[in-house]
Amino acid sequence: MTLRDERSYRVALVADRYLNPAKGKLDAVPILLEAGWGAIQLPSDDYPSAVAGPLLEQVAEQVEEFHRRGYDAVVIGRREGLDEALEAAGVPHLDQIEPATARALQSFLSKRPTPAAKVSRRRTTTSRR
Amino acid sequence: MPGVAFVAHCMLNQNSKTIGGARCPGIYSPLVKVLRESGWRIEQMPCPELTFTGLNRFWAVKEQYDTSAFRRHSRKIASAVVGAIEVHVREGRDVVLVGIEGSPTMGVCITSSDPTRAGLPEWADGHDELIPGEGIFFEELRSEMKARGIAEPRVIGIEHQLPGHDKRVENRRLQTFFSK
Repeated sequence: MTLRDERSYRVALVADRYLNPAKGKLDAVPILLEAGWGAIQLPSDDYPSAVAGPLLEQVAEQVEEFHRRGYDAVVIGRREGLDEALEAAGVPHLDQIEPATARALQSFLSKRPTPAAKVSRRRTTTSRR
Repeated sequence: MPGVAFVAHCMLNQNSKTIGGARCPGIYSPLVKVLRESGWRIEQMPCPELTFTGLNRFWAVKEQYDTSAFRRHSRKIASAVVGAIEVHVREGRDVVLVGIEGSPTMGVCITSSDPTRAGLPEWADGHDELIPGEGIFFEELRSEMKARGIAEPRVIGIEHQLPGHDKRVENRRLQTFFSK
């Protein structure tokens, strides 16, 4: 297998309404694509808690791994139960935005620092050459 | 009529891939573009490998994941996903599954197999491990749907990590699949 990896080391937890937006509402996907961010979808607000709870637990476990490995992680929008799920998984508070406009979201993402994992991966790769 | 596409986690987040496997920075646009243009709702499934063996995991074949612990882990995630599938099925929406061809866990028609692979990773560059078959998570997903009496949805696998991947061919496959 030829190894070529284009990951960004940047992950956004995205409220469902920004991933499956109603017509005319803010759509996070083109902005995340342009900025090179990955997305972790938060469960739809329409799901009953018995459905959303196990999905939020999975979201939190995934975020814990990204955070522990030095990937940048932010929250776009809100989801009831997310804070509790993240806390239960041992994830510290994540920076969050409730974007009113596409420009606000673009600006928020563009100001993020370089992820620690990206720096350490670059160092490792360089030292091997 | 467009419905709900439950897609493999890495289709929205290539950061979850095994190191060396990310084909783009984050969202895999060839799939998402077709889904959006066709009016499908997107639902992201969790990545069973990410929360079991982590981001620094090795490339692995199906036999390496085929343990009772990983099956249990996959069943737990499958139960969460099928809970969401059930919501949409009850509302009469069409549900489809999108996996990853060649994956030991998310393969739909092609998975990876090598009963002898073990120990210090030093296998040669190649793709001999690809065989027809489903990945472990898809097997557990199907089992959970059967247990709940949910009819098997249509499935399709993204081929972006297979040798000889052709973006134009895949785009035509996706457009045909999601226009039905």
